[in-house]
Amino acid sequence: MPPRRDGRRNEETRPLSLTFESLARVDGSARFSFGNTSALASVSGPIEVRLAAEHPSEATFEVAVRPLSNVPATESKAIASAIRATLEPSLILTKNPRSLVQLVVQALSPSAKHTWNTTLAAAMINACSLALLNASSVPMRGVVAAVAVCHSITGTILVDPSDDELVDVKSCGCFAFIFADQVGVDDSRSDCVWTSWKSSGGLDEAEILKAKEMAQRSAQTIYRALRKAVANACGLEVDESMTPEEGKSESEESEDKMII
Amino acid sequence: MTETVVLPGDHVPAQHVNLKLGPGLQQHSTSSTTKAEATVIVTRAGELHHSGNRSKWWVESNSRRYVPAAQESVIGVVIQRQGEGFRVDIGGAHSAYLDALAFEGATKRNKPNLKVGSLVYARVSLAHKDMEPELECFDAQSRKAEGFGELKGGFVVRCSLKMCRDLLDPQHFLLPLLGGRFPLEAATGVNGRVWVSAKEIKQTIALVRCIEAADPDDGGMDVVKLKRFLDTLEV
Repeated sequence: MPPRRDGRRNEETRPLSLTFESLARVDGSARFSFGNTSALASVSGPIEVRLAAEHPSEATFEVAVRPLSNVPATESKAIASAIRATLEPSLILTKNPRSLVQLVVQALSPSAKHTWNTTLAAAMINACSLALLNASSVPMRGVVAAVAVCHSITGTILVDPSDDELVDVKSCGCFAFIFADQVGVDDSRSDCVWTSWKSSGGLDEAEILKAKEMAQRSAQTIYRALRKAVANACGLEVDESMTPEEGKSESEESEDKMII
Repeated sequence: MTETVVLPGDHVPAQHVNLKLGPGLQQHSTSSTTKAEATVIVTRAGELHHSGNRSKWWVESNSRRYVPAAQESVIGVVIQRQGEGFRVDIGGAHSAYLDALAFEGATKRNKPNLKVGSLVYARVSLAHKDMEPELECFDAQSRKAEGFGELKGGFVVRCSLKMCRDLLDPQHFLLPLLGGRFPLEAATGVNGRVWVSAKEIKQTIALVRCIEAADPDDGGMDVVKLKRFLDTLEV
């Protein structure tokens, strides 16, 4: 298997970085990065809602996306509505009717010129999940983790493509999975809630399924990283504390092999 | 007592004839399984706790936003007089209603006269997701104030909800430590507000800064560090 430009394996993400931000004027906030692609999310809620946006049976869930530069425009609105649709299945909004759950996401890296950046969308979704876990005032039924996957023109499927890998791709997309006990089919712990798979020229079903499978495994790693971040914030050790270190040590091994 | 970190969606092995679920847990009937038994899932991230006989389960976590629950003591600010009562901001999504007759010794003729902006220490008497919360400043059985009522003077500190719960714990070090240095009064609401009162302004400032410094949301100083910090405040 040929290594990628930065020496990663095909199914390996860039180094993850998860931090709780403790912004003063919101109820929960977090920063998530894949390498140099990062996003900052903040959550407030349940708070008072405008009369026009009030729902009698559930909380109103609003998502606003702020780009790195310029004012929010159509592109931001598109990502915001995608993030909203992705995270909504993980929230139990009926617990707090007639209130507002407000999520603000700030992009901390520029989005790619050609198409809206799938890796940035994945980082945003993960930052949102982490901020919601940090706030812990909105009841949730699961945790969403997302990862970008692309199919390069050489025919390999790459997880979390870096900016220069995104230049020559055949198809590309972000996959988001919800993690909870027995959420998927056959008692599986994860289920796909959203994808933005786009392809230039013809959709291949087998290709999508393969990409989804790879993304699911990678999202599992991200989910474990989220769990570890929460455990660290509680000042506790998590039993299955393995993923990030394990990934690193393996990548070091592969580097060693390359040198040999 | 075991402490494990749980995330929303995790399954909890809580089974007891007289099962009591606390905050962060929800009973969930699965339609996929043929067994008609309900499972318990976690709805917020935090540490899972259970009582000695495994009948009571809850998730301990820190948050900043208050969601009212019945029988909790809160500190509120009167924002409006409304008919026979007051509208009180308790930090939740909706303002709470405090009836003017829900005070010790209040009658039709003799009602408390609270101004807009005054502080009250009250108990949540009604908390239902579809109704606005209601407060009372007396014990409904004995009709005695039991320490509830208007808070005069003093200063309100905002802190995280975990800090409030910690301060209510008699084993917690902070209030006894501060009380040993100078006389003080404090009322802790579980809605992220603590009312403190001391004789001198210097002491009030020290109180506020110590509560903020000990807040687990904001660093969370331990006894040793806090004692050192308190010594620098010259009280």
